[in-house]
Amino acid sequence: MLSMKNISKVYQTEKVQTHALRDFNLEVAEGEFIAVTGPSGSGKTTFLNIAGMLEPHTGGQYMLDGIDVGKLSDNQTADLRNQKIGFIFQGFNLIPDLNLFENIEVPLRYAGIKSAERKRRIVECLEKVGLASRAKHLPQQLSGGQQQRVAIARALAGKPRFLLADEPTGNLDSLMARQVMELLESINEEGATIIMVTHDAELARRAPRNIQVVDGQLADFTLYQNKTIEAVANATAMEV
Amino acid sequence: MLFYYMDIGWRSLRRTPLVSILMVCAIAIGIGITMTSLSVYHMMSMDPIPAKSDRLFAVQLNTMDDNTDWWSDDNMPFQLTFKDAMHLHKLKLNDRDENIDIRKTAMLVAQFAVHMNNDEMAPFLAMTRIAGREFFPMFEREFVYGSSWSQEQENNAEAVIVINQELNERLFGGSNSVGKEIYLDDTPFRIVGVMQQWDIHTKFYDVNNGPFDSPEPIFMPITLVEPNQIDTAGNTNGWKYGDINSWEDFLQSENFWLQFWVELDNKQETQRFEDYLLAYLTEEATKGRFEREVPSFSVRDVNNWLDYRGVVSEDNKVLVGLSFLFLAVCLANILGLLLGKFLRRAPEVGVRRALGASKRQVFLQHLVEVSILGLLGGSLGIAIAQLGLWGVRTTSGNYQALATMDLGMLLAAPAIAIVSCIIAGLYPAWLVCKTQPAIYLKTQ
Repeated sequence: MLSMKNISKVYQTEKVQTHALRDFNLEVAEGEFIAVTGPSGSGKTTFLNIAGMLEPHTGGQYMLDGIDVGKLSDNQTADLRNQKIGFIFQGFNLIPDLNLFENIEVPLRYAGIKSAERKRRIVECLEKVGLASRAKHLPQQLSGGQQQRVAIARALAGKPRFLLADEPTGNLDSLMARQVMELLESINEEGATIIMVTHDAELARRAPRNIQVVDGQLADFTLYQNKTIEAVANATAMEV
Repeated sequence: MLFYYMDIGWRSLRRTPLVSILMVCAIAIGIGITMTSLSVYHMMSMDPIPAKSDRLFAVQLNTMDDNTDWWSDDNMPFQLTFKDAMHLHKLKLNDRDENIDIRKTAMLVAQFAVHMNNDEMAPFLAMTRIAGREFFPMFEREFVYGSSWSQEQENNAEAVIVINQELNERLFGGSNSVGKEIYLDDTPFRIVGVMQQWDIHTKFYDVNNGPFDSPEPIFMPITLVEPNQIDTAGNTNGWKYGDINSWEDFLQSENFWLQFWVELDNKQETQRFEDYLLAYLTEEATKGRFEREVPSFSVRDVNNWLDYRGVVSEDNKVLVGLSFLFLAVCLANILGLLLGKFLRRAPEVGVRRALGASKRQVFLQHLVEVSILGLLGGSLGIAIAQLGLWGVRTTSGNYQALATMDLGMLLAAPAIAIVSCIIAGLYPAWLVCKTQPAIYLKTQ
């Protein structure tokens, strides 16, 4: 479903060249639930942004459902993102002056879905996250956990096959974090492919597949155990 | 998506009320001032008689010696001498073809003391247009009561007049005054017609004495000039020295000037009339009246005539230019405010981009928002322009018909405001739509 070959990302300023990702290779199959861990600054979010087509990669090839993402125009990229990808952010990123219904409606508007279908999907998604009765509330009237559930509902509304979550429990207490994780697991069981960046080792362990990003490169969990254990241990120690 | 963009735009404006009010006021002031000057300019320069402006022609004849100076750009007198004008006025061009007749009229303006020869009403001065009876159909004048004087009355130089509706209201309370008499100086004149009010913005048929003055309230036959010795209120400068010892001398002099208009319905009539003018000038030169190698005349339609006479002065054009410059200054301020407003919203744009909005959609969304701003500013600008035009009307009596906004200007105001706001919003909208969404998603 997702294939990254030798992906690199270089941030260039006048004097400094920063390699955020280098020779990054990853294959993700349909229906997988992958936890991405790694030290701060290792390139996890850059990987997630490139996977979500929020920023372009500098080199290599990124194929999503057989489509070479690097060759798409901005409009095509936006359409592909809208149709196939749902985002869940650490900071929820709900639009403050839109109520829950309207927040969830945003991706559906850009997808050109008709009013009646939009309404049906929004109600369905709000019911799924247990907030159907709060549809007219503004985000600031909800707790952090509830806001994240709305963000998940918004990500699900477009029926994406691919959910990208960037530290979705980072701003939540442990109880709410567990609830959100359970929600993600149930979504995964329904068939959605999920890639979740997290610093929470407990949550990462609940994911069937774990990958590590270290210095902009992928270290698979097995590799991590056998070959790069020292490097990862050092990196983790630095993070702590 | 347009309604969705409008909804987002409206919410955005309400979210920052102070900035929105500032921007609306800035565009309103700019539009108000621009539309004030543009409306006056528009009324000055618009076609005063669109139905037949291409068929009415002002005539000029150069009956001066070569190398004689006149104060026109092309060294040609703006008007015709009395003898030339009356010759053309009486001209019959339908001798060869009975089906072709040409409407034409010589005309001048004079001033009289108007009274009723009783103690009930004090005399007052009024300008009087002295013209042929064909003036009325040529310039599409309709009558409330009666009609214009007859050809017979004109030929016999009868003391008859047509008055306008306003004067009829003043003298007779608006009742049918046909057949009644009023006095112009010491002469009684019988009213034969009451002309409908003529709210003309440019007195195009005579731009010599105040092109934006109101039309005269009284009209009388041109044939009265000679027997009644009616002197013109217009120009009596001449190019040639001559002894003028009597009224007859004055009429035959090169100093008594009249306007002359002709209605020519097609190219054949125009050609025929021009051929006649050429023959007439050649004959006059042969008689030794003036010495010119090449006879020179001009026949200009209404709009060319107004352009030639410079009715809309350079000052008016400069004023319009300055008002647009002022609008540009307002827009520069709006651009600054929009930049701040839009860039502050970049995180929300980042979210929208992540959720599937393309750069184009984000760009359009912001342009719709500035269009709403333009619509609001334009509407308020119309109110400010009305205030400005009221100011112009109250400070200058001659601008009563000019300092108004017609339907075209009323529609143009919001259109200019919207286009202006879109221009001001292009850069901020482009800037916000090209930002990388990823930057803001992590930092929100």
